[in-house]
Amino acid sequence: MLLGHYGSGKSEIAVNLAIQKQRNYLVDLDIVNPYFRSRSARALLERHGVHVVESTIENASGSDLPYISAQGRRPFIDSTLNAVYDLGGSHAGAKLLMQYVDLVKTFDEIDVLLVVNIFRPETANADQIIQLIDTLEAVGQFPITGLINNTNMLNETDEAMIFQGERVLQTVSKQKNIPIRYTIVEETIKTTRDFCGEQLSLTRYLAKQWL
Amino acid sequence: MAKVLMKGNEAMALAAIKGGCDAFFGYPITPQNEIPEYLSYHMKKEGRVFVQAESEVAAINMVYGAAGAGARVMTSSSSPGIALKQEGISYLAGSELPCVILSVMRGGPGLGGIQPSQGDYNQITRGGGNGDYHVLAFAPETLQETVEIVKQSFDLADYYRNPVMIAVDGLIGQMMEPVDVETSVPKKTIPPKDWAAEGKSGERGKRNTVVSLHLDPYMLEKHNFALKKKYDEMVDNEQRFETIQTDDAEIVIVAYGTVARIARTAIEALRRDGVKVGMIRPISIWPFPEKAFATLGEQSHTLLTVEMSLGQMLQDVKLANNGKRTVRFYGRAGGVVPDSKEIIKEVYDALGRQSS
Repeated sequence: MLLGHYGSGKSEIAVNLAIQKQRNYLVDLDIVNPYFRSRSARALLERHGVHVVESTIENASGSDLPYISAQGRRPFIDSTLNAVYDLGGSHAGAKLLMQYVDLVKTFDEIDVLLVVNIFRPETANADQIIQLIDTLEAVGQFPITGLINNTNMLNETDEAMIFQGERVLQTVSKQKNIPIRYTIVEETIKTTRDFCGEQLSLTRYLAKQWL
Repeated sequence: MAKVLMKGNEAMALAAIKGGCDAFFGYPITPQNEIPEYLSYHMKKEGRVFVQAESEVAAINMVYGAAGAGARVMTSSSSPGIALKQEGISYLAGSELPCVILSVMRGGPGLGGIQPSQGDYNQITRGGGNGDYHVLAFAPETLQETVEIVKQSFDLADYYRNPVMIAVDGLIGQMMEPVDVETSVPKKTIPPKDWAAEGKSGERGKRNTVVSLHLDPYMLEKHNFALKKKYDEMVDNEQRFETIQTDDAEIVIVAYGTVARIARTAIEALRRDGVKVGMIRPISIWPFPEKAFATLGEQSHTLLTVEMSLGQMLQDVKLANNGKRTVRFYGRAGGVVPDSKEIIKEVYDALGRQSS
């Protein structure tokens, strides 16, 4: 499950994780954003064998109606399925998690990961990030089990920036006792450094080249 | 300050705060909701005013009231919402009240859709309200440019005592880009607002009134001539544009906003193929930057207007061109964003050649 402030990069990471980790489902729970939602990579995901769950009105890119298909419950019920859940931004997006709390058999099999980019002004330092963790856990009722360092400036990103994000997240990690699970490095960036957690090479599927 | 990564709508909202916006009045509509959302908490933190009005009509009239009292004010909306505000915009122009209006365009007409569009070019540049008036209107391409124009627009509105509109398509509202909101922007010298009805008639010894009603036709005509003088000054001084590789260009694309971004990708690819192509990118859409067309050399034989609308800016391009060059057009509508490949094909078609 991917949580985070809006604009933190959840949807691109969700699409990349679903493909790279060969998930059965990608559940797009974003009812906040009208554009750049993971469901817009549906054709690509289906080609990779990932079933996309979105609004009850499927393939309606022009709709921002807050309907989520009940298919999103299946991975909780059928233990053979694995899934990536892509939440909408901030506390409003995290609210949608509540509907699944009663279906959870054990939290051991669920990673609830907070995506952070320290160049987003609302998550620029450890205090702001910790406050966001507390809010999202209170609203969504799922404990956050890991952090994703997605520190980037899009095309202007370099290795030093990612490392700058890592240092901030290490402080958060220590204070909240939550590990850094992934560090996101866009495929175009060369790195020599060994970052915390698993390094996930990211392909940008949602934002076009001229964006 | 260092750069931060922001969403277009957020960046415009923050730029308004940096530009000295005292009060914001708005009503939600996709795809511009992050503007009021952001301002709903950040204006309060800054000790300024945020009001979610009961409708777009209410919001623009609140803008009229606060501007009339001398405050720096802003509203924002998207296409059908801007349509609702037109009466108020005409009243603001008629009463010579400064304000800033952010227009984040989506597909139309009517309720249309929520995907990005440039279909409100005529609405913005011709005006949907009544009477002889114009709004100073800009259509930026990047978030950095958007931020800088929003910051300046409060000065420009005060200087001309006229509404200023910043028009972006929904993609610029929703996309993310690194921005530095602290860069310095040109300033205007603003005379004191001794015309404002701010409740100090006792101290001043005379009552200020803010009206657009002039029942004597000769008085109203005089008012119209005075407004016209301001608009002429804007035409002389506020035309903004960028020319991109036009020095040797045989074909010149004319595009603004998101379409200009896509055209840049097309131009890069075409130049690699040896095609001499460039671009005029209007930054102001009213006044339309006709001066840009005078910069083109004799080798530029064709203008290709590309829009996310069906031939609205095309009319201004034809007027600026004045029959000198061949004018062609390519447009998508309804929320469909053209791909750079479509523009490349149009350029080859215009040159009567096949892509190599």
